[in-house]
Amino acid sequence: MKINLNYSKYLVISFCIFLSIFFVNNINSAEGGPCKDYGECDEFKYSLNDIESLQRGASTYINYCYGCHSLKYSRWNRVAKDLQIPEDIFFENLVFDKSIKPGDLMVGAMSEESVNWFGVAPPDLTLVSRYKGDDWIYSYLRAYYEDSSKQYGVNNLVYPGTAMPNVLLSLQGNQRLICKDIPVIARNGGEKRDESGNPIYQEKCGFLEVEDDTGKLSKEEFDNLIYDLTNFLVYVGEPIKATRERIGWYVVFYFLIFTALSSLLYREYHKDYNK
Amino acid sequence: MSEMAGKLFSWVNSRLPIANTFERHLSKHPVPSKVNFWYLFGALAAVTLIIQIVSGIWLIMPYSNTEEQAFSSIEYIMRDVDYGWVIRYIHTTGASLFFAVVYLHMFRGLLYGSYQKPKELVWIFGCTIYLAMMAEGFLGYVLPYGQMSYWGAQVIISLFGAIPYIGESLELWVRGDYYISGITVSRFFALHVVALPLVLIALVFLHLVALHEVGAGNPEGVDIEEYLDDDGVPLDSVPFFPYKVLNALVAIGVFMTVFSIIMFFFPEGGGYFIEMANFQEANPLVTPEHIAPVWYYAPFYTMLRAIPDPLGGLIVMAAAVAIFFIVPWLDRSKVASIRYKGIYSKIALTMFGVSFLTLGYLGTVGVTEIRKTMSVICTVIYFSYFLLMPIYTKYEITKEVPKRL
Amino acid sequence: MQEKDKTRRKVLIGLTSAVGLSGLPFVATPFIAAWNPSAKAKAAGAAVKIDVSKMQYGQQIQVAWRKQPVFIVRHTKESLAGLDLSLDKLADPNSDQIIEPYKGLNPSRSKNPEYSVMSGVCTHLGCSPKYHPEVEPKAWDASWKGGFFCPCHGSMFDIVGRVYKGVPAPSNLVVPPHMFEGTILTIGEDKEL
Repeated sequence: MKINLNYSKYLVISFCIFLSIFFVNNINSAEGGPCKDYGECDEFKYSLNDIESLQRGASTYINYCYGCHSLKYSRWNRVAKDLQIPEDIFFENLVFDKSIKPGDLMVGAMSEESVNWFGVAPPDLTLVSRYKGDDWIYSYLRAYYEDSSKQYGVNNLVYPGTAMPNVLLSLQGNQRLICKDIPVIARNGGEKRDESGNPIYQEKCGFLEVEDDTGKLSKEEFDNLIYDLTNFLVYVGEPIKATRERIGWYVVFYFLIFTALSSLLYREYHKDYNK
Repeated sequence: MSEMAGKLFSWVNSRLPIANTFERHLSKHPVPSKVNFWYLFGALAAVTLIIQIVSGIWLIMPYSNTEEQAFSSIEYIMRDVDYGWVIRYIHTTGASLFFAVVYLHMFRGLLYGSYQKPKELVWIFGCTIYLAMMAEGFLGYVLPYGQMSYWGAQVIISLFGAIPYIGESLELWVRGDYYISGITVSRFFALHVVALPLVLIALVFLHLVALHEVGAGNPEGVDIEEYLDDDGVPLDSVPFFPYKVLNALVAIGVFMTVFSIIMFFFPEGGGYFIEMANFQEANPLVTPEHIAPVWYYAPFYTMLRAIPDPLGGLIVMAAAVAIFFIVPWLDRSKVASIRYKGIYSKIALTMFGVSFLTLGYLGTVGVTEIRKTMSVICTVIYFSYFLLMPIYTKYEITKEVPKRL
Repeated sequence: MQEKDKTRRKVLIGLTSAVGLSGLPFVATPFIAAWNPSAKAKAAGAAVKIDVSKMQYGQQIQVAWRKQPVFIVRHTKESLAGLDLSLDKLADPNSDQIIEPYKGLNPSRSKNPEYSVMSGVCTHLGCSPKYHPEVEPKAWDASWKGGFFCPCHGSMFDIVGRVYKGVPAPSNLVVPPHMFEGTILTIGEDKEL
């Protein structure tokens, strides 16, 4: 067999194939999932242009999280501005300490005594979406379950042995780890059935289920709440993310035009020595 | 007015060889008329160097090199400084693309024998640039003082500890403290922003002066100096301006498109350009679950890990870089370009490329038994490419190189 | 080369350079903007609030706004009445030559007739003038009516910061934007402005 490709083209092709295999394998999947016992993290798709979602998320954060978790690289007035909340309304409703000035950093509301009381200092969460990832946060906050052996009576599938109590328990309700009978899947992909044609069930454990009427919110409402909260944390991790992506289109477009024009010009001059 | 300017120019020019230098090294500098895209990465590397220097100068201004503020000053740049994020992402993207471009540039050298006589010095200056870049990149990566900065530096500095007798005191001397502290960060800062950039610029200058002395190569490996026209200009050449400039302009356009796609849409490069753990401030008491070097050191890091003995690992890693310097004397082939070399060279180079990429991949993931074996095999292939070169290049059947381009 | 090709080249050169050059301002923008005061600097330079009800009549205090001294003077009735006495000594008594935020509002030049608020930076070369409220002969002026004297180059201002004739300082002390909410004075911010 005769291969007519010249060597460098053949090299480039073989390397490209190699690289594509390499990039499909990302860091996380090679290491066993970051969501631990939860299995695959739930996928989170941020929507930083949904200002209302960010506003709701900010409100949830400040009401439920800010008491312990600072956002020390972020400034109050920046959040107000980016979330399009007028400064006076923002400060009246979301800033409880009246000595805070608009340009202050969100250094947290926790005294040193209470830090000692927790045993570990609750971490600052400004960058949590960047070092843990949004999928992780979204899964983690929804993966608490009742476990009386733990200090706060709860444990977490995503982060087993977490030191944080389930602050949102009253909203979510009492989530438990349960076992369910699920149909056994046959090799051919369908449900396995016994001789009389009834599906065969097998007990499997590790499912999360909320006890009825124990929480103020329905499952869907709670998921939405966590969605908004995670969305806010994505925003706060990189406040210019939406701007960055918006500007990006113009810049890429500009360089594409520049490339097109310069390559036309290059071809024109190329005729001089390559007739 | 123009007469005045003309007079001024000739006054300066009779004291400083502006016009002559400009013509000789830029406008009329002859370059081979037929080259392919592999020959554009040198220009791109120069562009990236300039991008890194300018964005770097702007990053020095708001950056703080103390233990307490190094990490938060990065967030200060990202949030509080107007467009600080643009400047920082230019620098982080630029760092990764600098290495990408330089790796491709080096591979071009291996592909077309750009190290062969009389280009040995061009090649050696190039290898030294690469060495300086590795140091520069490492020092820069420590400056944000995140978890990966800290633990990456911990691993690299511990390598010094593997040196017999002086290792431990050398380690302490490099850090200037008992852990990687603000003292270490601020000396790395000085080296990163002043010392090594000066070295790099000087080396790039030497690289170019040496290149212009012996003339640029081409993918055919033809010596264009053999056939000159009446003015002594090679027949198979075109002047640098406008032909080569226009060619470079297209390359810059494509490069900047890629650059801006990464910078504006994937600045973390999926965790390869800015690692996730580096968004956490350095904590000497907690090691991150997964320590991986940035991608451009990964192949060498894998070799280090492949050898169980630390000193052995260090030697292998150093040898892997050092071996590039002697390539001009390892290649015994009569021809320069892979196009006219024999089948052994082609197989060897492909194997080398694949093993280098595999080593790179293995460096970014955790260790398992199979991966460990793979990394040993790839390290062996990597070194065989170089060490067997005198044999396979000498005894293989080469094709006839044409006289003209 | 054909005429058609020449035109094509010219057009392409023009277009490419135009597109290339038009990008320059955009590239320069982040580098220029990065030198603006950062959010941190702006937060540190935010408006300052001070309760001025505790000030005694005739007292002058100095507060820092944007790390620069700002003088607050609570005037006595006598000193306010005496403002017109030295009118002929002043270079610009009505602040016509500068941009005055509260021009003609009060003789005190501020938003409150009882207080003066002014920058404590001499308009000559940036020294900080000293407050000398007493009406008595001074080494620098035998008929001193009270006011500010700059020790650096001898510039004189009256008690509301208006510059004297024949001194090095070219203009009156600058009045920063401010507002009074009851007895709380805010310097650096004026919601009505």
